[in-house]
Amino acid sequence: MSQKAKKVVVLPCSGIGKVYGALARETAYELMDRVRPGVVVTTCLPLLVIEDSEAKQLVTANPVITIDGCPKSCAQKSVEAQGVTPAQSFQAINFYKAHKDLKPDGIAELDENGRRLAAIAADELARVVDDLAAGGVR
Amino acid sequence: MGEFLETTYDKFVFKVRTGYFYSQDDFWADVDGDSALIGVSDFLQKAKGDVAFLETAEVGTEVKQGGEIGKIETIKATFGILSPVSGKVIEVNPEMESNSYLINEDCYGAGWIYKIQLADFDNDRANLLAADKYLDLMQGKIAEEMKNK
Amino acid sequence: MISLEVLKVGIVSCSGEAVCEGTLSRIACRRVLDDIRPAETVTICLPLFLAGGKEEREFAARYPTITVDGCEKRCAQKSTEKLSGKPARSILIPEILKKHGLEAPTSLRDLSPEEKASAQLVAEEIARAVDEILNGTEG
Repeated sequence: MSQKAKKVVVLPCSGIGKVYGALARETAYELMDRVRPGVVVTTCLPLLVIEDSEAKQLVTANPVITIDGCPKSCAQKSVEAQGVTPAQSFQAINFYKAHKDLKPDGIAELDENGRRLAAIAADELARVVDDLAAGGVR
Repeated sequence: MGEFLETTYDKFVFKVRTGYFYSQDDFWADVDGDSALIGVSDFLQKAKGDVAFLETAEVGTEVKQGGEIGKIETIKATFGILSPVSGKVIEVNPEMESNSYLINEDCYGAGWIYKIQLADFDNDRANLLAADKYLDLMQGKIAEEMKNK
Repeated sequence: MISLEVLKVGIVSCSGEAVCEGTLSRIACRRVLDDIRPAETVTICLPLFLAGGKEEREFAARYPTITVDGCEKRCAQKSTEKLSGKPARSILIPEILKKHGLEAPTSLRDLSPEEKASAQLVAEEIARAVDEILNGTEG
């Protein structure tokens, strides 16, 4: 990875009502902690809405990937409300659709299947992160 | 009467589209001449959760009222699509292949599943409920669902 | 519109995935919602609340709410005040931890046994607040 590589902001929807919100969050953590540490960063989604200057600066200065837990697409919409178009937007349910054998469970904390699914999803998103970090199309 | 009847439980607003016919199994039929669009009620989609997988029957499949024509799988459950009317499938909503979430997003509109050529609607109708009667049935089901939550 | 409503309390958790206290908040709130006071509480999904979710906003406008925040930026509290009115109670995780002489958490996920115990303690504080609101004894 180049020294000049950008940070890539991964914003999960952060919902606490559905398993897919937990899956979105865990995928972001996997990207940040294991798959692309030092490249992937995140912030608290609600900070954007309360006009926190650091959070706004982060999403305006770097490419953003949103991962939503339901079709209401809160993460994507919250970023767009800042006048920023996410470079890529994902729905966590599609991670499950692609790996039907890993049915996730749990909301505050994912079960083993959910964690495995998040790890696989994060691995699959690595290439998107690399493209964006290298200055790919935003 | 407005477009929808509604009932609220906790934060959830459950809607019933007026002008549609409803089965006791929570499926609706929007009858237009000799055919009907069918789909799932707002109560059913809320109770079962986001649709992950949908298995549909082919065009030409014949079904009796209450018969199963496909399956819906959510994170919570897998359940049959039980036709509220007898007839033959003449169209499957083309959006269902890639956008089955429309069942959750717009269950009475863009989330329709099949168009059925009606075989015997006069008889079927006796087993179906108008929106106001289905609202009563749904309220009982909501109370039961919440009790078991 | 027909209503089947009974009095409940909306729980608005800071969803902060960038702060460890946010994780603690989510876990504590889910314990209240799922195990400790399931019949008396309803989750209000903060991101959906913020993004215009009609059901979340209308519930928060009609029912008492408890906001639970992980840091001094108080996103849950501020958002609730802005979108639906003053919360019945506003809980700040660092204040509770300090009150009980507990360390701040250091895990964004996979909480340690000590952090899980802190989450339980926070959950019990939230449950007490729920009871006080429903009994009309909130201070």
